[in-house]
Amino acid sequence: MTNSIGEFEDADLFLITGTNTTAQHPLIGSRIINAKERGAQILLIDPREIQLAHFAVLHLKQNIGTDVAVLNGMMNIIIEEELYDKEFVEKRTEGFDALKALVSRYTPKIVQLISGINATDLERAARMYAQAPKAMILYAMGITQHTTGTDNVKSCANLAMLTGHLGKPSSGVNPLRGQNNVQGACDMGGLPVVYTGYQRVNDPAVKKKFEEAWGVSDLDDKPGLTITTMMEAAQRGDLKALYVMGENPLMSDPDTTHVELALSNLDFLVVQDIFLSETARLADVVLPAACFAEKEGTYTNTERKVQLSRKAISPPGLARSDWEIVVDICRRCGYDMNYKTIAAILSEINKVTPSYAGITYDRLRTSYGIQWPCPNEEHPGTVFLHKDQFTKGLGTFLPCEFKPPAEVPDSEYDFILTTGRVYYQYHTGTMTRRIEILEREAPEALLEINPDDARRLGIKNNDMVEVASRRGSVRLKAEVTPRVPRRVLFSTFHFSEAQINTLTNPAHDPVAGIPEYKGCAVNVRRCE
Amino acid sequence: MKLLPKNKLVPIISSWAQRYTVLAPSSTEQGECVFDIFKEETFTLEYRKPSLPPKSQLLPQSDVIFRVEKGTFREVLPERNVLMFGIRSCDLMGLRQSSSFMSRDTQDIYYRRRSDHCLKVVMACAGPQNETCFCTTSRSGPSATTGFDLQFYDLGDSFLVESGSTEGDELLKAGNLADVDDKDTVEQVNALRNKAVAAITEVPDVTRAMEILSSRGASEELWERFGDKCIVCGGCVYVCPTCTCFTVADFPSGPDTGERIRSWDTCLYGGFTKEASGHNPRSTQGLRLKRRHEHKLLYYNQTDVQEALCGCVGCGRCSDYCPVHIGTLEVVKAIVEEQS
Repeated sequence: MTNSIGEFEDADLFLITGTNTTAQHPLIGSRIINAKERGAQILLIDPREIQLAHFAVLHLKQNIGTDVAVLNGMMNIIIEEELYDKEFVEKRTEGFDALKALVSRYTPKIVQLISGINATDLERAARMYAQAPKAMILYAMGITQHTTGTDNVKSCANLAMLTGHLGKPSSGVNPLRGQNNVQGACDMGGLPVVYTGYQRVNDPAVKKKFEEAWGVSDLDDKPGLTITTMMEAAQRGDLKALYVMGENPLMSDPDTTHVELALSNLDFLVVQDIFLSETARLADVVLPAACFAEKEGTYTNTERKVQLSRKAISPPGLARSDWEIVVDICRRCGYDMNYKTIAAILSEINKVTPSYAGITYDRLRTSYGIQWPCPNEEHPGTVFLHKDQFTKGLGTFLPCEFKPPAEVPDSEYDFILTTGRVYYQYHTGTMTRRIEILEREAPEALLEINPDDARRLGIKNNDMVEVASRRGSVRLKAEVTPRVPRRVLFSTFHFSEAQINTLTNPAHDPVAGIPEYKGCAVNVRRCE
Repeated sequence: MKLLPKNKLVPIISSWAQRYTVLAPSSTEQGECVFDIFKEETFTLEYRKPSLPPKSQLLPQSDVIFRVEKGTFREVLPERNVLMFGIRSCDLMGLRQSSSFMSRDTQDIYYRRRSDHCLKVVMACAGPQNETCFCTTSRSGPSATTGFDLQFYDLGDSFLVESGSTEGDELLKAGNLADVDDKDTVEQVNALRNKAVAAITEVPDVTRAMEILSSRGASEELWERFGDKCIVCGGCVYVCPTCTCFTVADFPSGPDTGERIRSWDTCLYGGFTKEASGHNPRSTQGLRLKRRHEHKLLYYNQTDVQEALCGCVGCGRCSDYCPVHIGTLEVVKAIVEEQS
């Protein structure tokens, strides 16, 4: 997030797209509801009738995968009607002319044809967003989990820069991270192209810095593989060994039939997890790990806040903290890694990561966390990003053309399936499906289908249905509900009994490698 | 009454700590105050309304009821003796109401065992602990009239200590304290109580909402409006001194071993009332909120509530912590406003 959660209190407008905030970030959702009650406006762009739809002044239901067209359309209206922030565009950005030229083709009429959003509504939305004194864009996986995920994100940034809704309190672009430490994992270099703090592996100065810090030479300066490309490589036989920590790709990756083939094709699979997940069952070696309450460490949340978490109880059996396991593996591989404490690891992070330099163990111990960037120990941390100037200087508009999803409905697969999570279950259910109350609340996968479609296909509430894509089929119960529009189906990936990722398309974003979980072509029929 | 100079407080609590697990206000490294096991280094008197009521001491968030080992089961009954130091009178009332409920129809032996081995030392409030306190309306404070073992009144340099039980008398023997039962002291305590009562504003909306609920009721729209924004976190239930609903689940850990555990539950979850057929008599979040608030304000059991007004003890925590402001104070206000 470029803003902080506390800044929701002063925002005048929220453009919410691709996030079911009250279900997936309920406390952030509650701040949005409170803001609405004191007079802030909610502009919702989402195909589904989520809880926040009840609070939205305008709910635009776009066809799935048409976000770039919708955002370009809004920018076109804003430029046409001269509602953009001329001073911000002039002083802080570059590439405006190229943006203007590109978005000018996205007239409200054309966007209506692509997205299904009424031209008048789009105009209203564009004006409201541009004219709000303080406006925050909020998005989550509904924006990123597309083959055009990177373009969708760029378009959100373009829109915010165009209107000057960036670099100020309560104005910014705010991706809501879907896990408590996904921000921290990325910050720590859990990506194939960077070290900690997004320092690129192919930058010679960075390479040298890490070689010195670790007392090694010849660190690999070539980017590694993303998860989706790893699975492809494993299936080809190019990838021989895989070490999976706290991830359950057999449930969470798209096209799980192929994931299983890929994992079986490995010479060696190690899984380090707190429970024996579906993936761990395939492993040659399983390393039992401690859960959050059984270890000490830090998490970095969605607002870039690093927080210390203490050990409350001892881990059961042979389970150990992830870092202790990693240290031992490294030592046995011949590298003398010798951290003794969390504090020692954090101290190294402080040394090699400029944005974390001032986030020391002692400061975390006596506070509720510090937000990066925090360049030194006197620095209070950063509440919102991009004040006065962007990290790179001027912000560059990166206009994108609309591209349809990799798979669109046709006569054989005539529905589009979109996937997500429900309030009571988390991801592949490795943790939440062991909790009796959560199982009581959400015991099985449901397929949301619009009443009109259900009637046409003779499907009633709670009927067993079979959904099929080009990759496989799944049986589950139907929930007939107007929450989804016609020709759209929604389900979740929590349940191994109805593994929805058997259906999803592994086609992925060319830059980020993120798969298109939010849209694939399927058909559906009632089971006899 | 006894007079306890403040410099004798830590020694006397330390002496209790030899016989009891003493829970007392403690400061954390972040400067917060929580109720935790008494340690001289972290003990503090600088606290207001603790964020959680002490109910988890008698009804733990999750509690092993029995264990199965090699095919035979063994009941797990709690053993320790607890002394709660410094609880507020509203929380004492919460414990008393829950104790009554947990033994009225059937004896809940797990609750009872803990309740029987728990001493309660109340710190009388000198005024509201924050803006949501309404114990003068709910008749649960600012000081307790009965049900405590000891009650402390803050005089500045010392405490006046009132005993409410033989166990309380026993506790005071440790301190070798001066008796102060003269007329002046009685008046001093009365003056403190009266001053505290005067400082805590009454909330007439509570009684008016109760009257409305028992006559024509609140509208469906009102409950649905609250239901629309409820994020179903259950926080109001977890911080409520009188919410004691639980669920029971089995956790096998091997072919012939495992545990039966009960843990907190809440009527705000849909599955709480969902029937085996799939039908749910409280089908919307609005209906679930209605039931919860009516249970506190309308359907309470007269025996359970003791001398208090109703099943809500006026601690105000639901109003303090509900992220979308669906606390008792907001609900009664809406009920009253709707009718006027």
